[in-house]
Amino acid sequence: MLQWIFGGMTAFALLWGLTSGVGEQTAGAMLKAAEEAVQTAIALAGAYAFFCGMMNIVRKAGAAEGLGKMLSPLLLRLFGPDLPAEALEPVTMNLTANLLGLGNAATPMGIEAARRMGKGNGAASNALCLFLVINASSVQLFPTSVIALRAAAGSADPARIVLPALIATGVSTIVGIASCKCAERIS
Amino acid sequence: MSWMLPVFLLLCLGCGTIKRVPLYDAFLEGAKEGLETARYILPSLVAMLCAIRAFTACGLMERLCLFLEPAAAWVNLPRETLPLMLFKPLSGSASLAMLREILNEYGPDSRAGLAASVMMGSSETVFYTCGLYLAAAKVKKSRHIIPCALAAWLAGSFMAGALV
Repeated sequence: MLQWIFGGMTAFALLWGLTSGVGEQTAGAMLKAAEEAVQTAIALAGAYAFFCGMMNIVRKAGAAEGLGKMLSPLLLRLFGPDLPAEALEPVTMNLTANLLGLGNAATPMGIEAARRMGKGNGAASNALCLFLVINASSVQLFPTSVIALRAAAGSADPARIVLPALIATGVSTIVGIASCKCAERIS
Repeated sequence: MSWMLPVFLLLCLGCGTIKRVPLYDAFLEGAKEGLETARYILPSLVAMLCAIRAFTACGLMERLCLFLEPAAAWVNLPRETLPLMLFKPLSGSASLAMLREILNEYGPDSRAGLAASVMMGSSETVFYTCGLYLAAAKVKKSRHIIPCALAAWLAGSFMAGALV
């Protein structure tokens, strides 16, 4: 799908530019964008290094385990009997890693959780559906890349969006869970 | 809200100190991982920023925004943020590139910049995440996953318009 987004957008833009007489500017803008993408990545690299360094301290302090202990009874209730017992641990660890913004740690745990929930007849179980929807709705407590990009763009207060972002992602997760529960009843 | 970042960082350091984590070594280990993440996303960031910039330079982005204006008004979002909203479920690097463009073009503290920042964190790359985990689960029928995930995405975007 990404190849269609990338190819389609670029080709269509160049064609459109050529026919409306700004083909050269369009191509020039792309080259400029490539340069600026590297600058952006460098700004992000610094911020990622910094935040991942900080988060690694938190991880070493056992925050994921602590948070996991608090979350697992809640998750057990949320997922109900449909969740295989052996999947509770990776599910909890994936969600806590996501909460803390440890994307690199979250993905392998999520894959493990999905694998353990996938036993069946080819259709996703209720628990797997709920798990994927929660994952897709994002539950990160502290959006580090957004803060880094805002700082790089010269914001007076890069962290100003933390609270509204938390509310927005909370609402989106709740809507995801609620719609999953409704869909379960219907099917 | 300007106290948020320093307090957050102090909490991180405090946690580590109480649990006697070797602060410096742990930081370095994490920082290395962070740098690798940045290196990993660079190629796709270049590709997507180029595509988006071409789309902007030829005048199509403006047309798209104007075309989407009624939808934007409906969810009470600045029309400049609608392309980001559309990219969000499709591609992580495209939405990162789009967010960068909005922040630099309209300013990070403008309404568009703030709404885009909130929107960015409110949902994940729905299709990628679901595809990855469904493949791991070896499941063929995804049932209500995509509609429900998209409902969550809509709710998050709507909240971005409502909160900023």
